[in-house]
Amino acid sequence: MIEVEALTKRYGSTTAVDGLTFTARPGTVTGFLGPNGAGKSTTMRVVVGLERPTSGATRVAGRSYADLPAPLHAVGVMLDARSVHPGRTAYKHLLSMAQTHGIGKARVREVIAQTGLEPAAHRRAGTFSLGMGQRLGIAGALLGDPATLVLDEPVNGLDPDGVLWIRRLVRELAAEGRTVLLSSHLMHELALCADRVVIIGRGRLLVDASVQEVVARSERAGAVRVRTTDPEPLARELLAIGAQVSPQDAGVLQVRGATVDDVGTAARRAGVTVLELASESGSLEDAYLQLTGDAVEYRAADAAGGAR
Amino acid sequence: MRVLRAEWTKLTSVPAHLWLALGTVAAAATTAFGLGMFVDAADGRSGAWVVTSGFVLAQIGFVVLGGLVGTSEYVTGTARTTFTAVPRRLPVLAAQVLVTLVASLTTAVLALGASYLATTWARAAEAPPLDLAVPGTGRALAGFALAAAAYALLGLALGALLRHPAAAIVGGLMLTLVGDQMLATNPGRVTDTIRAFLPSAGSRLLQDDAAVASLDAARHGPDLGTWGGGAVVLAWVVLTLAAAAYRLRRHDVR
Amino acid sequence: MSAATTTSRATQAVTAARPGPTFGRLLAAEWTKLTSLRSPWWIAGVTLVVAFAITYLSAEASSVNPTFYPLESLPTGLLLAQVGPLVLGALVGAGEFRTGAFRTTFTLVPRRWPVVAAQALVLVGFTLVLGVLTTAACAVGVLPSAASRDVPVDLTEGDTPGIMLGMVLFVVGLTLFGYALGALMRRTVPAVVTALTIVLILPVVLLVGGDLVSGPPGMAPAGEMPAEAELTVVDTLVTVSPGGAAQLLTVPASEGPIEGSPDLGPVGGGLVLAGWTGLVLGVAVTRLRTRDVR
Repeated sequence: MIEVEALTKRYGSTTAVDGLTFTARPGTVTGFLGPNGAGKSTTMRVVVGLERPTSGATRVAGRSYADLPAPLHAVGVMLDARSVHPGRTAYKHLLSMAQTHGIGKARVREVIAQTGLEPAAHRRAGTFSLGMGQRLGIAGALLGDPATLVLDEPVNGLDPDGVLWIRRLVRELAAEGRTVLLSSHLMHELALCADRVVIIGRGRLLVDASVQEVVARSERAGAVRVRTTDPEPLARELLAIGAQVSPQDAGVLQVRGATVDDVGTAARRAGVTVLELASESGSLEDAYLQLTGDAVEYRAADAAGGAR
Repeated sequence: MRVLRAEWTKLTSVPAHLWLALGTVAAAATTAFGLGMFVDAADGRSGAWVVTSGFVLAQIGFVVLGGLVGTSEYVTGTARTTFTAVPRRLPVLAAQVLVTLVASLTTAVLALGASYLATTWARAAEAPPLDLAVPGTGRALAGFALAAAAYALLGLALGALLRHPAAAIVGGLMLTLVGDQMLATNPGRVTDTIRAFLPSAGSRLLQDDAAVASLDAARHGPDLGTWGGGAVVLAWVVLTLAAAAYRLRRHDVR
Repeated sequence: MSAATTTSRATQAVTAARPGPTFGRLLAAEWTKLTSLRSPWWIAGVTLVVAFAITYLSAEASSVNPTFYPLESLPTGLLLAQVGPLVLGALVGAGEFRTGAFRTTFTLVPRRWPVVAAQALVLVGFTLVLGVLTTAACAVGVLPSAASRDVPVDLTEGDTPGIMLGMVLFVVGLTLFGYALGALMRRTVPAVVTALTIVLILPVVLLVGGDLVSGPPGMAPAGEMPAEAELTVVDTLVTVSPGGAAQLLTVPASEGPIEGSPDLGPVGGGLVLAGWTGLVLGVAVTRLRTRDVR
């Protein structure tokens, strides 16, 4: 269980995290989403005690991170692939981590096998590809067999096999009753493996809800997409029956407040040829872009103002 | 030409490089000012010595600058970008050499100017004036810039060869400064011969004729002549650069 | 991948309290970290070779002297070999920050300062061995020239055991000083350059200044000044600087102070070096405890 309570973090005059509150619960995978610079990594670094909050608090398993008697057993952390000395082999890196908590070599070999690092275990981490570095980071997070995992962009740089592996791994970890907090910018990835999402923009909480709820809020959800040879007469017919119509590119209309059947009938009345007709389903990606759009635009405007 | 401009932008866009150049100028001027206070005519130190005395500290800056430029590609991981952009790797090294040469000569001239200004007060008091008529004075002043550029290039070459900034800089400082100082505490035929063939021999260029004569009188090693020290350091630079170029062509960049 | 085995352990994770970091465990971890890198071994090897080579050369050079006393050349190799310990310390001190490995380290040990203590202690262990081997290399370095002149070498006579102990502590002390600078500056290149400048180059600059004040030795035709007996500013500064104080460790206690500088002796020199190291390390630890690490 990870609790973030009214967390604010400022660096000088810039505010990275602004009054953020959310909870990641045991048995669920909590996806942590936001545009670059939204404050995801800062929040995670505060959670694991590398940075101190300006105000507010974070707790892991009911305690402040610094008060955990055995951090490695309580929380598995993977922040940045560059948290390893490039001159050290993967095995020695994991061994030195294990030794701080009196964990034996057998467990080190176990996580190496579990993360598929065996062939590279005795190579220096500096020679690793991005994907291998991610696997090493995850191996370190699993080492203490912790009840809570904090993973920053774990699928970054992984090949399709690796992505599939991570997806299955985090599902398994949550199914075992662990708390998993995982950040990503790959929306469809999160849609496939997260139960809940916490979306932040400019350091503020935008959404804390289940994946289904967020998807349902998407603009496209429940809309009908129709492509015709002649959109204008059709649009008139649709407006007449009380639907909302927004024209898209190349003869495509997006229709709300009407079913597929309604649109088909209206098309016959308008005497236009229908080339394509389908009901649309929302996606997490749409919902995310809608929610964070404002946050991103604000920043773009700020930057333009600053440049002037 | 485009490679050259790219390397110049890379050099000047890193704040650390500019601070380093500034620090080098400041170190030279401060040292010259501090030492200048104590010089009086009875010492036998010349006007050129007063102005160039900051070299002992400033040379660190030049070695570090070269070492940083030579390893920057490997430290930041831009080696892949750079060497993909310019598939033939040697032009990059050549451009770095040229850029470092210009930057170190500029810094050296500024350091010399700052040292001259910083010692104005000392000259008004006891220190001897800077007199170009004293034999070797012109060479000593030019030598300051030449030795500085040579040390920067040696740092660059070591950096490109070793690909690790700390190793390049420690190696460079050993060869140009520390080794010589340490060997100097045990004068003898063997140690003086070694000293004559270390890159630190380049600092001979900073001595005017009288100082060269007194150095030679106290020396047990081979006589390299007036410009010999410069030839020694030039040979080091060329050989190290050649080794770096060989490694660049033959071995993978990772 | 192995869901069945991890499930049982997960329940255990919630119920049973498992032990966390102890100082002994940190020592073991830091020892693994130090010895799993290549640079400490390289630096140790080069230090030994340089110590032997320079001692051999200077013993050869002074063996032409009619009053040749081989044991006088014993610490000469350290003048150059001291670069090794300094660089080793600076690399270890700054290495974690340079590479980002500190994130791993400090999430495992949120209190942070025990890591610094463990790293320093592990370095002491490593460099005690290196110091003994370096001293041995220096001793071997004087043997050929002593043998060529048929001068017996007895390492147990007079000041020699004290000097050899001082040489070992010299290696350990300079490593810790370099470590403190590395831990404070957190970047390899500035830390290494600062360490070398303070320890090796600053005394040289000060001594050039000192020569000017007290008259140049032999370089100037006109410089015939009487040696000053009282303390001079420059010589005192050299003696209490980290490099100058470290040097005193390798000077026999019976020799007395260098002209114009305070008489600290080997013990005093060691204490001054320890004071500098403690000061720098204290600032580094305070910053580590009170500030964010990113």
